[in-house]
Amino acid sequence: MDRVTSWIARLVLVFLYVPIVAVIVYSFNAASGGYRWTGFSFRWYGELFGDTALLQTLATSAVVGVLAASVATVIGLLAAIGLVRYPVKGSGVVLGAIVLPLIVPEIVLGVALLSVFSFLHVPLGILTLVLGHLIITLPLTTLIMVGAFRTLDPSLIEAAADLGCTPWRTFTRVLFPLMRSSIIAAWLLAFTVSLGNIVISTFVSGVGSTTMPLRVYSLLKSGLTPELNALGTLLIVLTFVVVLSVGIQQMRRILASPSGPAPAPERTTAPR
Amino acid sequence: MTTDTIARPEQRPAPRRRERASSHRQTRATTVTGLLLLAPAIIAVLGLAIIPILLVARNSFAESNVYGGITGGFTLENYAHLLDPVYAKVLGYSLGMALLNTVVCLAVGYVVSYYIVSRPPTRQSLLLLLIIVPFWIDFLVRTFAWISVLGRGGPVFGVLDALGVDTAQLSLVPSQGAVVMGLLYAFLPTAIFPIYASMRAIDPSVKEAAADLGCGWWQTHFRVLMPLSSTGIVAAAMLTFIPTLGVFVIPVLLGGGKDQLVGNLIVTLYTEFRNQPMGAAVSMMLLVLMLLAMAVAGLIARRGRKKVA
Amino acid sequence: MKRTALIAVAAVAALGLSACSSGSGGSSAASTQLNIYAWADEIPKSVIAAFEKETGITVTVDTFDANETMISKLAAGSAGYDIVEPSQYAVQQLVGQDLVEKLDHSKITGLDNLGKKFADPSYDPGNEYSVPWIWGTTGLAYNEKCTGKAIDSWDALWDPAYKGKIYMLDNMLSAYIPALQVNGLKATSTSEKDIEKATQSLLDQKPLLAGYNSSNYSDLLASGDACVAEAYGGSAIAKVTAANPDVKFVIPKEGGTLWVDGFAVAKGAPHADAAYKWLNFTLRPEIAAMATNDGGSATANDAAKADITDKTMLESVAVYPTDEQLKDSEFIVDPGKALQYFQQGWTKVKAS
Repeated sequence: MDRVTSWIARLVLVFLYVPIVAVIVYSFNAASGGYRWTGFSFRWYGELFGDTALLQTLATSAVVGVLAASVATVIGLLAAIGLVRYPVKGSGVVLGAIVLPLIVPEIVLGVALLSVFSFLHVPLGILTLVLGHLIITLPLTTLIMVGAFRTLDPSLIEAAADLGCTPWRTFTRVLFPLMRSSIIAAWLLAFTVSLGNIVISTFVSGVGSTTMPLRVYSLLKSGLTPELNALGTLLIVLTFVVVLSVGIQQMRRILASPSGPAPAPERTTAPR
Repeated sequence: MTTDTIARPEQRPAPRRRERASSHRQTRATTVTGLLLLAPAIIAVLGLAIIPILLVARNSFAESNVYGGITGGFTLENYAHLLDPVYAKVLGYSLGMALLNTVVCLAVGYVVSYYIVSRPPTRQSLLLLLIIVPFWIDFLVRTFAWISVLGRGGPVFGVLDALGVDTAQLSLVPSQGAVVMGLLYAFLPTAIFPIYASMRAIDPSVKEAAADLGCGWWQTHFRVLMPLSSTGIVAAAMLTFIPTLGVFVIPVLLGGGKDQLVGNLIVTLYTEFRNQPMGAAVSMMLLVLMLLAMAVAGLIARRGRKKVA
Repeated sequence: MKRTALIAVAAVAALGLSACSSGSGGSSAASTQLNIYAWADEIPKSVIAAFEKETGITVTVDTFDANETMISKLAAGSAGYDIVEPSQYAVQQLVGQDLVEKLDHSKITGLDNLGKKFADPSYDPGNEYSVPWIWGTTGLAYNEKCTGKAIDSWDALWDPAYKGKIYMLDNMLSAYIPALQVNGLKATSTSEKDIEKATQSLLDQKPLLAGYNSSNYSDLLASGDACVAEAYGGSAIAKVTAANPDVKFVIPKEGGTLWVDGFAVAKGAPHADAAYKWLNFTLRPEIAAMATNDGGSATANDAAKADITDKTMLESVAVYPTDEQLKDSEFIVDPGKALQYFQQGWTKVKAS
């Protein structure tokens, strides 16, 4: 059965890339729209590099994404540790409150946030974009890390404490390495959500701080230009180049953590 | 020996007694630490969620003028309008679609997470990256790519025509099927990542132990692995179900815009219908419904956890 | 000592006051910035570049996807825009919510360059709040290979022969245009009975419909996925009809309607003087002509017609329909109180 699940998983990965392959293929299509293939052309790549407005929005999206994801991951991690390790009375309510922004439709939250920012005379721009993205990615990061943390064997933390580790050392030497993949997963998801967010961004973006999906969405009426396919292709190619150039060896060093709680032989130091 | 490797604290009676004794001593310190850790989250949520939601709640009782502004006042009219059966239909369709999407996403997400967890650690991060990178391409660009793949001039129709299938009346997009597929596609990472995070924390020897104790493949999953990663599965469910209700682009682009989801309804109310108060009322109703559902789910989960102990 | 101190304090106070006043909108100094909130692709880059070159003012253009988004954003808070580009019915909404400034005509020159239709239009009498920039129509687009014949009436959208290949625009007011006109009613009707009749037509149409689509219907027509579609006339459909001879755009015999996108000054605009410079600049014939030459849209500026370089544009139905073709077309205006009838109908149609 494991073989079956492996094949299903691989099929899913292929499924994930179907539109991506289409994007890459169409980025070289000479036709300006529609799906008929009329010939090979680099024209859209040329237009992409000339479209400073679009590239500007890409920069804005990247900056906002990194900031929002990082802050959301940090706050979410702290909250997860607090909720699981040091539960206070009413932790359930706090978790519910953190998840609340998920339940409110984005347009409603976006307009309300704009009203609040406007009342407080907060200037619209990168700051408000980060705040807006923060509140919708915080539930993601918190839930992911609560999930990871709750499944973790608490005796490891207790063992570390018993062996004389201060809470800080327990965090850096025991907790963090164990949670590393989950933290990275949370950050990646938050970054992705921020990168693709349209509605909240519409309302909390300021003059000149348009994010990329906003710009693309506004092109719906006049038609998406194929240069966006070129942009997508470049993004994919760039990521893969980075991954490959960093190298498997480097990744092993950066990302390797013991696979979950340490297997039995390494725990001979833990008290019985 | 084997009991030590099981991750659930409830299955180890002795430490619980010890825990209770020590927790008594550290109660105040633990509370303070706990509060400190939660503080940034509480501040963020208070300022960026609670206050705006209170504003929305206030607006749901307000009146709107014909040009779309909100003119103070207090009226229950917005909620009264909600009793119209037309809204029940929209809500029913949305809940059904959300449920379907959640079930599909959880199933696929679980399988994929299980696969990733069974790979060596470096491969895992690589696979996660592989899964997430397609989603850095703009959502609309991806959706239109699907439309061109599934559309009449695209490769799928090309293959079908070559196979001699009669495609004259066939329409893959827009269609309900396309919506389901589009939703699955959009929510896959949100389903995979939380389940993965939970599964990752499970000691791999648990699986071996289960096999040693005579569990078949299905039993290992249903009796051991799923309950252990339940927090992740529940998180994935929440992160999929609730946002699906608010989706409004996919039903329009892939579904032809003929069936309204609650997300479409609210956007229409806010924009074309210029009725923010009514949109606020629908949102508040949704909020209350979801909070109730989460409270009920929380109670069930707590009872379930007690059962495991 | 005391005197120098006094002079110093006075100097600092003066500096402080002048800093305050220049911060509050440049009443004394001329603005060096202009913030525009507009439809994507309707202001050609060449126009912006020319404006920046001539005035030295830096222009930032943010784009929105629909009038309603723009209105919601302006209504929810001071977004910092000087010029906005609403469609005609949106102008009335903005005025109703007090979100735009009344234009000071003494500061504007060139309003007489506007075509007859656009000077003193029904939705903005006397052009008190907006200056039309480009215009277009709402009509019918079809794929001749698919339909087998030329189409000239809204009837085609209800023709069961095209079942599953019909598209309507996904916009309440736009969708009611064919529904009202096909019943012989005016598209600007605000009568409850008329709207009910139109709603019934829309309900009857739904089973035949492939979908409501305001975005990629031209691609669908080109590929044959769609046979007939309600479409906006303008640069987007013009490009498709030019590239694909099977796809045609017509103004139906029942009339169709007109839309106009124009410029308005947002209330509390931080750079009001730059805004007026923009209005004057875009009213110049040679600049207005760029909307057609570089943007492919029809300019509302009659005097600009002489400066249009591609004369074939002037003949394209999708861009410049003739007055003869437009004889039954009207502007869609804000329905005011009748909006609720449209809403009830549209909700019923969408939920059916």
